[in-house]
Amino acid sequence: MNINNDPLWVTVAKKVRTWARLNSICAVHFNSGSCNGCDIEILATLTPRYDVERFGIKLEGSPRHADVLIVTGPVTRQARERLLRTYEQMPEPKFVISVGSCSISGGVFKGCYNVGGAVDEVVPVDVFIPGCPPRPEAIVDGIIQLLTHLKEGSPRPSQINQPIEEIPA
Amino acid sequence: MNIEQNLQKAEQLLTVWNKEATHPEANRLDVSISAGNLRPAVTALHNAHWGYLSAITGLDLGPASGEMEALYHFCNGAAITTLRIRLPRTHDASLPTIEDIIPPATFFERELHEMLGFKIKGAKSSDRLFIPDDWPEDVYPLRSDFSVEQAKPVEGRHANELPDEGVVGGNTFVVPIGPQHPALKEPGHFEFTVDGEIVTAARMRLGYAHRGIEKAAESRNWIQNLYLFERICGICSHTHSLAYSLGVEQLAKVEVTARAQAIRELVAGLERIHSHLLWLGVAAHEAGFDTLFMYSWRDRETVMNLLEQITGNRVNYSANVLGGVKCDIGLEQATAVKDGLNYLETRIRHYLEVVTTDTMFLNRTRGVGTISYVEAEEFGLLGPTARASGLVRDVRVEAPYGAYKHFPISAVTETNGDLEARCVVRLNELLVSCFAIRTILDNLPEGPLTVKMPRKIPAGETISRVEAPRGELFYYIKSSGGENPARVHIRTPSLCNWVSVLEKAVGRQLADAPMLIAGMDPCFSCNDRMITTVDQNGSRQSWSWKELRAYGIEYYKK
Repeated sequence: MNINNDPLWVTVAKKVRTWARLNSICAVHFNSGSCNGCDIEILATLTPRYDVERFGIKLEGSPRHADVLIVTGPVTRQARERLLRTYEQMPEPKFVISVGSCSISGGVFKGCYNVGGAVDEVVPVDVFIPGCPPRPEAIVDGIIQLLTHLKEGSPRPSQINQPIEEIPA
Repeated sequence: MNIEQNLQKAEQLLTVWNKEATHPEANRLDVSISAGNLRPAVTALHNAHWGYLSAITGLDLGPASGEMEALYHFCNGAAITTLRIRLPRTHDASLPTIEDIIPPATFFERELHEMLGFKIKGAKSSDRLFIPDDWPEDVYPLRSDFSVEQAKPVEGRHANELPDEGVVGGNTFVVPIGPQHPALKEPGHFEFTVDGEIVTAARMRLGYAHRGIEKAAESRNWIQNLYLFERICGICSHTHSLAYSLGVEQLAKVEVTARAQAIRELVAGLERIHSHLLWLGVAAHEAGFDTLFMYSWRDRETVMNLLEQITGNRVNYSANVLGGVKCDIGLEQATAVKDGLNYLETRIRHYLEVVTTDTMFLNRTRGVGTISYVEAEEFGLLGPTARASGLVRDVRVEAPYGAYKHFPISAVTETNGDLEARCVVRLNELLVSCFAIRTILDNLPEGPLTVKMPRKIPAGETISRVEAPRGELFYYIKSSGGENPARVHIRTPSLCNWVSVLEKAVGRQLADAPMLIAGMDPCFSCNDRMITTVDQNGSRQSWSWKELRAYGIEYYKK
């Protein structure tokens, strides 16, 4: 979209919106069958040592109030529908961060009968954070990359991806 | 009584039904019985208070032999009695239920049914526990001829068709909790039926984190499995790899050096500290005491640093290798660990004071979810949850393994059995762990870190039990002499402790449910994003877990 053609108030409103969004990210965490390793590291990033709240990031309980979905774990068959449903419940614009080797490729669980595979086969993903589990520093870095991306206003990787499939009723 | 006397007693108790008894290992008795005699045999052991049912393992002996086996493992101290039942490998291989004699057996039996297709006669519930609802009928993942293609989802079904008990009347509501949640850890699904404020029924569904690790283990070699099992749980990864290594070393008849054993115990001690501090934070968070949550997690970073300094990783340390450990403790590490422990000990003493004196926290914990000694024994509880009721269930004390023979620890118990007692037990255990780690550092035996392990493990079967932070971890390992295990069966402590939540929630306020769930330190954690209350008109009111938590906090403010 060409920003220059917008009326002034639209440009200003967009800037304000981006500024507000960058400073108050609400994240919801979804465990799609992970071993807890990534989950405790995500939680560690919220606690005093790493403290992502200084970037305005807060873990939110309900997906309806969240901007960012943080997914850990290989997607198990039971968790798959739930992951889709959680994603659908989030308001636009929404972003997905996939944390850990399992969520990126299935990791050590690839080929298991109850494991579907990577998170990006189910929902579009913006940031991948590899590691088994990634260190809290890596998770913080991943989040910052997402914020930088938003600041630049370039199209998100997930928008280029295929649209997600219909969720089951 | 020592191990031999215990085993003799078990053999006497079982003589009537005994078809064939063997002693596969010094501490084990293996008794073959027929399926019809299962109930009297289990009753005899149960009535004589001969140990507790630790796990039920199912074995598929393959299409060639056309038979399956169910192994009922009873543990009494270090002595293990296994009841072995052999059945034809057909659709009507059926076993009588023993859930009325031993309540926790209900989960073991459901697992046996789902994974291997044993029919359990007389079981109250046949709902699926682990595998998805769209899984085809008569396909059992742990059968030896199972292939992934067989597990195609059934048309028109969903992977989780949450049971909808929509039939409600009067003031009765169903409150489902699960399977996704905001704070951390793994998903599960609970349904609490409430009459007004009081919970009248509770049920649960697991399997959101079921990945099929036991099956995967059969196709990977012994060394690959070490790293697979480590990833069963990121919180107690060391104990999983420890239990597996101990089992494989028993099978290979390899004796690990004293130094390696001591380092294993040291890492296990540090892991316990990190796990219990993590739990304290989560429990405090559920009680609305976020300050304690933040403080305990801040202090937990000290022990994470130590683990990283020793093993190179914060989580999934891979300290174990088959035949020893990969990391040594030098002077630098020893000093760092001691300094860290000094700090942690003062903090732990402080937390001990907080959880026993803070009025607000005590409101949520004192007298809540009280489990008596008798109930703890009946429910088959394990670990700190059992020890808070005065029941000594600690493998490190009952059946010392590895370095615990040389560096013994004392079991920490409490008698009240409520949530406060569980907090106190866990924190006191940390002090015991700190003491044990110090003793190890001061008396670290000399010697190499590893011994040579064969690539192929001799045929045989073994049981290894390890005390994880949450309770007894049970590994059954069978080798057929090849490069892969023939079967690995794992029973984690959380599975046994669920009963405490389900039984104890009934009759309590709904507001206590989050604390009760947190109180047993579930490893398949189970909090949720959407909690829906269904009223009698069928309209739904949605609550987030956060709101429920806030409601619980608000309720107790009054």
